[in-house]
Amino acid sequence: MKLNSRTKFGVVVAASALLLSACGGGGTSADGSGTPAKGGTITYLTIAEQFNHVDPQRNYTGQDLAFFGSYVNRTLTSYAHAEGTAGAEVVADMATDTGTATDGGKTWSFTLRDGLTWEDGSEVTCQDVAYGVSRVFATDIIVDGPTYAISYLDIPAGDEGSQYPGPYKATAEQQALYDNAVSCDGKTITFKLNKVVADFNYTVTLLAFAPVPKAKDTGEKYDDAVVSNGPYKIESYVKAQSMILVRNENWNPDSDPVRHAYPDKVVVNFAQDQAVIDSRIIASSGEDAFLVSMDGIQPENLPTVFGDDKFKNRRVNETDPYALYAAINVNKVNCLPVRQALLVALDREAVRQVAGGEFAGDFADGFISPTIAADYAPNKVLDGVQPTGNPDAAIALLEQAKTTCPDVYAKATGEGLVYDHPDTPTWAKNAAVWIVSMKKAGIVLKSNPIEPGKYYSVVMDEALQGDISRGGWAADWLNSSTVLPELFGEGGFNISQNKKDPAYAAYKALMDEALAQTDRAAQGAIWKKANQYALDQVWAIPTFFGRSQEFRGGNIGGGYLWYPFGSHDYDALYVIQ
Amino acid sequence: MARFVVRRLAFMIFLLAIVSIATFLLFSVLPVDPASLSCGQHCTPEKIAANRIRLGYDQPLINQYFTFMKGIFAGRSYGEGAQAFSCPAPSFGYSYYRGQCVTEMITNALPATISLTIGSAIIWLTMGIGLGVISAMNKGKIQDRVSTGLAIFGLSMPTFFIGLLLIYVFIIWLQIFPFPSYTHFLDNPFKWAQALVLPWFTVAIVSAALYTRLTRDGMLETMSEDYVRLAIAKGLPRRKVLVRYVLRGAITPIVTIAGLDIAVLLGGAIITESVFGLPGMGRLALNSVTDSDLPVIVGITLITAFFVVVANALVDILYASLDPRVRLES
Amino acid sequence: MSLDSSLAIEGKSPAQLAWIRFKKDKVAIVALVFSTIIVTLALFAPWVCALLKIDPYSLDNTTLDSVGIPNSPFGGMSRAHPLGVEPGTGRDILARLIYGARTSLTVALIATFFTTLLGVILGIWAGYKRGIVDGIIGRTIDLLLAFPSLLLIISLAPVMQPRLVSMGFPEGNPARMTYIILILTLFGWTYIARVMRGQALSLREREFVAAAQASGAKTSYMIFKEILPNLWAPIIVYASLTVPGYIAIEATFSFLGLGVVAPTASWGGMLADSIRYFRSDPAYLFIPGTALFLLVLAFNLVGDGLRDALDPKGERAQKV
Repeated sequence: MKLNSRTKFGVVVAASALLLSACGGGGTSADGSGTPAKGGTITYLTIAEQFNHVDPQRNYTGQDLAFFGSYVNRTLTSYAHAEGTAGAEVVADMATDTGTATDGGKTWSFTLRDGLTWEDGSEVTCQDVAYGVSRVFATDIIVDGPTYAISYLDIPAGDEGSQYPGPYKATAEQQALYDNAVSCDGKTITFKLNKVVADFNYTVTLLAFAPVPKAKDTGEKYDDAVVSNGPYKIESYVKAQSMILVRNENWNPDSDPVRHAYPDKVVVNFAQDQAVIDSRIIASSGEDAFLVSMDGIQPENLPTVFGDDKFKNRRVNETDPYALYAAINVNKVNCLPVRQALLVALDREAVRQVAGGEFAGDFADGFISPTIAADYAPNKVLDGVQPTGNPDAAIALLEQAKTTCPDVYAKATGEGLVYDHPDTPTWAKNAAVWIVSMKKAGIVLKSNPIEPGKYYSVVMDEALQGDISRGGWAADWLNSSTVLPELFGEGGFNISQNKKDPAYAAYKALMDEALAQTDRAAQGAIWKKANQYALDQVWAIPTFFGRSQEFRGGNIGGGYLWYPFGSHDYDALYVIQ
Repeated sequence: MARFVVRRLAFMIFLLAIVSIATFLLFSVLPVDPASLSCGQHCTPEKIAANRIRLGYDQPLINQYFTFMKGIFAGRSYGEGAQAFSCPAPSFGYSYYRGQCVTEMITNALPATISLTIGSAIIWLTMGIGLGVISAMNKGKIQDRVSTGLAIFGLSMPTFFIGLLLIYVFIIWLQIFPFPSYTHFLDNPFKWAQALVLPWFTVAIVSAALYTRLTRDGMLETMSEDYVRLAIAKGLPRRKVLVRYVLRGAITPIVTIAGLDIAVLLGGAIITESVFGLPGMGRLALNSVTDSDLPVIVGITLITAFFVVVANALVDILYASLDPRVRLES
Repeated sequence: MSLDSSLAIEGKSPAQLAWIRFKKDKVAIVALVFSTIIVTLALFAPWVCALLKIDPYSLDNTTLDSVGIPNSPFGGMSRAHPLGVEPGTGRDILARLIYGARTSLTVALIATFFTTLLGVILGIWAGYKRGIVDGIIGRTIDLLLAFPSLLLIISLAPVMQPRLVSMGFPEGNPARMTYIILILTLFGWTYIARVMRGQALSLREREFVAAAQASGAKTSYMIFKEILPNLWAPIIVYASLTVPGYIAIEATFSFLGLGVVAPTASWGGMLADSIRYFRSDPAYLFIPGTALFLLVLAFNLVGDGLRDALDPKGERAQKV
């Protein structure tokens, strides 16, 4: 799952985040504690100009998935709205159960409940689900979303991607290919997969597997106005201003055991200043007591919010599912001792300090976040790694490199390695920390700032990528099959360019073995090995496992960090009556 | 006069055409491929190529230019079949990044920018001309020294630093103003003004300093003209001379410059708007640059150039109607 | 001293006369001294920092609390860090200011040189030749003024910098600084050109120019040998008033993220960063901000002093 670029990269132009006043004052006595109740209006504030995507098939950032999954889009299965690890449990949503696997996990079927309706009152049919999933294949229009449907469904591959071009362009024969893989029998939908996917019922929690009514599909423009089958419908959506959700009168609570649907109305105000958001919620006076921040808290206010007990029911500070790291372009730095030297030389303490100290996260020992409990085990980190960096150990490693790979050694100590990072003041300081710690070990590093909006498209293009590029990734569901193959395998987020490394073959074998393993515990054991392997090869330098802070006004209750997404559980938030 | 107006307007249209061509050429060298930006994850070269065709970026530049210009007058449609949609005239293109017609984005941003421009223009013209007049009338005296001193202070403050300073002093320290959040004038005029006071002054301070100098120098120069000396020698009241001859003589060039400054500001005050988070043209422009949202950048460049070129022409025509010599000269 | 010089007026060159007038302007003298000190500090930055035992790059976590805010008042001012430290990293602010001034002044001075050069040549040429040359230059100015320059500058930066690199400029800061200098020159020459054009127009009517023309001198000879030498005073004045404007613009660019790359220090970059620490560390806003203001003010005052001394009746350079 992609890192939401605005929260972790800081504000695009720092200048738009400003303005603070002292906290306190305020006429409200509400402190964020209460019992869940229906009614009222929750207002969210965000610095974003708009949602990344509203179209379910294009939705792929943790926060947006959590928001629309809670309020607007129902899927066959979804995550439980519960605190802690209980939230990671998959529950039946539109389906009557969490799916039936046959053929050893190569075929999955789900049966729809009775009483599922669209916002216009018409019935949600099995065909609507099949149509929604088919949109993923229209890769020219439905962009940015997860593409698991393409890689998992049993449809022959063509010259580029799938032979099925999506519902907009498909000929009758091409449509038949899809209909063969995804078929409806009354209320039962069956997915035929091209391989065993033991946890496909987790895959379908993604909104990319949400239904779309074919008659209402507007293609590109569906991203502005979606048809709801959840408890709320979109009343208005004006980019850079606001989105207003009101109750969907045609949503049948009896058909939905998952959602609570507490407030009567949900408002999202876009293009707010982070500092304004913080200040209004800190003060929490009058109407501001009904506000919720979608962007956490900016660093300088963390001590205020977490240092005072009066905020204790209004704040959240939890480990989120993101693992942050700096990928090394292995094609360019094809020399293990140099990569190891980079790892041991880095002053990770200082890197964390720039990001906000203890609130930024905990030191990472690999790429699998501890939030994926089944696959996480502490890794054995290279000897000599110290929190504040170990230049002496790095120098020793460089000595080795001098003889084993003189070219890379010469580049690292002479012309210099290029460090890609988003062009914001915070990342400039992060780069400075990297440069200074490497310099102590005699490694030359050059900063390459990239406009934040273009960052990933630049580093994912190998021709434009530098030698080291920072990144962050979270599992799409609680299985490392959505992490390790993405980061260091055939997945779409591999910015380590490690496929030509001689060590890749053994790693690929491990991944294949894990992906084929249907026993979850045995699979977890293999992921643990693969995680250690990637760390040993130093294809990337893990920095920390992210933490997220959330913050809300005194009249809003029910806030916690929703385990699978590392964001609010929007469904759980209610107005204290 | 009519001939002059026609010629001036013809030149205006010519300049607009040149500006639009120059903008198109300038941005055609950008390495940002709008086709690849609207492609997303798992992008293949084939997909980018298909996108390029869909968005019309495969066409020769000249065709793209004419399609674009046609869009301004006739609107433009995108996509095909059930997925088609259109941006009505005047269409400045479509932002695939934001999923919105550029014209719509610009019309949403204009109210904030117009509010900022008008308010600050009133402040800087009043302050600048006022201080300039005081300064010139009391040349060499303490009033003059204070005014010119203030002017050089104002001129030495970079705009973004003024903005940050005002925010710190009035919002954080003295807490006179709340956190500004822009409200439409028609929704709540009080909140509208509250959110704009500090930005108005941020823009106005530098300009006021400049106009103080212009007014002072202009008046001193006019005062030394023969006809003014004559008027004084004839014993006309000092106030009358000042208002009727000196100020009028000095103010004409100021109006010219003010016209241009206002036009430039209408294109968006990038620094002030982004420092104060005003949802205007300047912030839209800056956001588009960070997002590499090419259609929006092109749209804003053209709109701004349009304002400046038109203002230039209007000022010239105004000038000519006041001063017949201008017509004859050109 | 003053008595002597006023007695011996006939022995003074125009430059000496101007210097005598300039010296009487106390404010300008103070400003000149201040600017000279800053220029000297910037020029000898490594030695100055070594002397003060400060360094613009080294991190100092001991000065920060757990979330990265300086842990002592006034932005962490101390003997070790006379002007405090940067939040998040603990880098020394004084050292970063001194190194930042290097970038700032380099860009401002070089850009002023090229702006003046281009403006003077094109302006005099237009004024001297009139006719078609004047028309083309005039229309070019109109066109340049029509563009939203700041927007163009920031949106074209990502394209032009790689171009400069491919043209042989070293990657990173040199290419970035070259871009800013080029772009300032491109958009900045118009004002000085218009002034020079006016001067040239009036000079070409004078007898000595007519005499040289009659003897069949070439245009280049006329411009450089006959007209230019008479315009030194206004050129110096306008150039000196361009410098402070450029210092401010350079800071604005780095505020917007167009300036030098990490870890090199820049004044605008510090101010952009300070926004996130408005409440917890206001010193981080005030110290670089005040330094920037004082430097621009000092150069403005020097320019004003020069203007009064050389050309008591003149106008002011273009605003930012």
